[in-house]
Amino acid sequence: MAAATTYREPRRVDWAGIGFAVVLTLCIILPLLVVGTWAFANVWRYPSVLPQEFGLRYWNATLARADVWTAITTSISLAVVVTLISAIICLPAAFAFARLQFPGRSILFFSFLAGQAFPKFGLLVAIAGIFLQLNLIGNFWGVVLIQLVGTLLFMIWIPVAAFQGVDRRMEEAARDVGASPLRVFWSITLPQAGPTIGAAVLLTFVNTFYETEGAWLIGAPAIRTMPVLMISFINNQPVIQYGAVLSVLLWIPSFFALLFARRVISGGSFARGFGA
Amino acid sequence: MAVLDIKGVSKFFGSAVRAVDDFDLTVGNGELVCLLGPSGSGKSTLLRMIGGFETPSAGSITIDGDEVIHLPPERRPTGMVFQSHALWTHMNVFKNLAFGLKLRRLPADEIRRKVEDVLKLVGLTGYGTRQTHQLSGGQQQRVALARSLVLEPKILLLDEPFASLDQHLRERLREEVRDIQQRMGITTLFVTHGQDEALSMADRIVVMRDGRIEQVAAPDMLYREPATPFVAGFIGTMNLIEGEVKGGKFVRASFSHPLPIADGPAIFAVRPEALAIAPATGEGAARIHRVTDYGTHGLVDLELPDGTRHKAMVSEARDWKAGQPVTLAPRAFAAYRDNAVAYRSSTAS
Amino acid sequence: MSLSPTSDIVGASKKSGGLIGLLLVAVPVLLIGWMIIYPIIAAVITTLWLRNDAGAYVFSTQTYRFFFTDGYSLANLGLTLWTTVVCAIILLVVCLPIALYLRFATGRLAVYVQGLAIFPLFVPSIILSYAFIRVLGPNGMLDILLNAAHLPKIRSPYLTPWGPVIGLVWDHIPLTVLILMAGLGSVSDASIEAAKDVGAGPVTRLWYIILPRISNSILVAASFAVLGIFSAFTLPYVLGPAAPEMMGPFMQRTFRDLYDPPNAITQAVVSFGFCIVFGLFYVRSVVRNQRAR
Repeated sequence: MAAATTYREPRRVDWAGIGFAVVLTLCIILPLLVVGTWAFANVWRYPSVLPQEFGLRYWNATLARADVWTAITTSISLAVVVTLISAIICLPAAFAFARLQFPGRSILFFSFLAGQAFPKFGLLVAIAGIFLQLNLIGNFWGVVLIQLVGTLLFMIWIPVAAFQGVDRRMEEAARDVGASPLRVFWSITLPQAGPTIGAAVLLTFVNTFYETEGAWLIGAPAIRTMPVLMISFINNQPVIQYGAVLSVLLWIPSFFALLFARRVISGGSFARGFGA
Repeated sequence: MAVLDIKGVSKFFGSAVRAVDDFDLTVGNGELVCLLGPSGSGKSTLLRMIGGFETPSAGSITIDGDEVIHLPPERRPTGMVFQSHALWTHMNVFKNLAFGLKLRRLPADEIRRKVEDVLKLVGLTGYGTRQTHQLSGGQQQRVALARSLVLEPKILLLDEPFASLDQHLRERLREEVRDIQQRMGITTLFVTHGQDEALSMADRIVVMRDGRIEQVAAPDMLYREPATPFVAGFIGTMNLIEGEVKGGKFVRASFSHPLPIADGPAIFAVRPEALAIAPATGEGAARIHRVTDYGTHGLVDLELPDGTRHKAMVSEARDWKAGQPVTLAPRAFAAYRDNAVAYRSSTAS
Repeated sequence: MSLSPTSDIVGASKKSGGLIGLLLVAVPVLLIGWMIIYPIIAAVITTLWLRNDAGAYVFSTQTYRFFFTDGYSLANLGLTLWTTVVCAIILLVVCLPIALYLRFATGRLAVYVQGLAIFPLFVPSIILSYAFIRVLGPNGMLDILLNAAHLPKIRSPYLTPWGPVIGLVWDHIPLTVLILMAGLGSVSDASIEAAKDVGAGPVTRLWYIILPRISNSILVAASFAVLGIFSAFTLPYVLGPAAPEMMGPFMQRTFRDLYDPPNAITQAVVSFGFCIVFGLFYVRSVVRNQRAR
């Protein structure tokens, strides 16, 4: 006797998804895992698949190096100074672009794209040519300037979008209950635009922290940031673990960016900002 | 308790657009006046000028005799409720309501008492700690109203506050707002494009068109005695038949009716419920194009021989059928000439 | 991120608003003028008007003639062009399927794949270089695994032209995927279902419905990649061969190690020239996108 069969939707296996997941995991996660493993390997001799001895020996050794500490403080102070200056000059400008009417507003707004039309390193070399005459090569403030220019586009465009995203009626309602324009900005506009602006500031800090090419071209050899130190470790340091530990240290700001700014980046507006 | 006086207020955008054109209106103490008009009629612009969000190109706005036209919104004794509620989403309900009081540097316990009172007034007792996104659309609009009321403004301005709500909620809030407004006796100006809203709430209605006043009247008068063909067509349904008067008779195609005014063009206005129809033996004045049965009554679409369509209300739809020739007998009507009433039948009800 | 016309909130006087606006944007705008626009113009001028023996400035194409006759410079340029083209092709071949998958897939696996595809955005390229060496370099992880499986070692791409290619592709995957996905977002489900309805197979749908719609996004993604890769510095410097080298390291070495700014700037202007079409196209797309909103 034949059993009554009811139609059941076939279970589709997402082979494409599994394929992408496996390949991308191998190509993107695995290399970073290897670096992470190296950072915690006291001994790892070829051809063993796993380190012979795990431990924190090289963390102590790396953190005992003066050049590492100099690089850390240089990188952090550079990133803080650049982010601060960038915020101070860009956020009011972003507010003006978003809310005020002035001659040339549109063309000035798009002028921040000027740097995007040229290959970056070529531009850096052209700027370095100018800096050479101004004695800004090998100078902290020279590096600040060149990194500052790199932050302008993000620090203006993202906050402009944030300010424009604030409902004008909210601001008008605040005026209506008696708030002065300054108070409206402080109590309504800024808190409303805050999260997006915060993400822009964080991204600026992180991007500046990792900015290598300007720092290398303008700053070397006097100014050694962590990425620049990392290059010299890769080129000249025979002990693998130093580089691995520095890589893990170096990744910390990115980790915070990953935690807090991911939403901004995954949102479509970020990609559209790149012209998609 | 305040009187709002608007004199000669105009707002031009550029040189061509006159959003509000030489507007005069006095809103009496405790009165609720509705600004009614199609979109683009300038009613919202006028309201925003009273609130201080737009600068008039000319004119004067006084509240209790004090000129406010040069004051920014924060220094005007007006409270505005916006269409999109415009609650501050980064503050909870209490903070939304307390913000204006804090700006006035009131002591904390007085702020708390006032906020609790106003929450009770709008029926949201105990909602102070809620975040705005946790509220329903109706509750959000109540909070927006409370935010204005808590400051006890002299003039309350409402800019289509119920537009984003569904029909049922809109009707309930309408009654609530009217109750609160009457209890507090607060002078109120209300902008809407829905005639139901205006007719059910207002003491007086200002019908606006292209930045100008078409008519100011109490709701019942507006329906019964519209001053212009525009108002006649905008409030309720009105058959507006354009034709000629010749020798005391209005004529349009096969329709004619005595009209004791001088010869010349005129618009003959008759409401569907005032247009009686009867079966014609011959050609008749019009032919029935379609009959719609609404149960309680029927609506008959009539077609004149020149193709123009008009409506008549009948008590029983099943008595009529499409294609039938009928005669027309207006029971009450008006005639307009040069955008003004030229004649109104005495039986106008 | 569009600029919509502002309306006056209080009727604050427009004239003073204009002045305040200009003042507020002045510093960043001047910075752009001084640090982007002026250096570009100056680079072109200083490489074309050279100081002669008498101390006067005369028009001369000498540095450019040197660049285009010097075998080493030409080899570097050739390597750069090769790397750029190969990277752009690989990027599209890799990222288009990922973007297509992410456009139509739902569920947790898709979220995971998207997370992975965007992840390199959060890995600075210097860490990437280091990871590359540890995995694909001599005695790297790949060698270890091959050895454990008793297979012969590979020829490591480290310090060959393929090193920068692999690194640059890795680095550019996130933004390429994001740009393509944004483009695919404009392809409506209805248009694809309509194509299915008239009997179009997957290949037909891809070729006639999807690709034409996202051709602009593909060009934008390609332009973005070309601009980023043509003058890349860190990855080619760390992973690439010493000679010939890509334009980035070449310019850096000419400028800093050979103390020859005029020739370095000439190289920069040459790379501007090769990228200008992509650059202008890219900027035009961004502007058009901004205005559309």
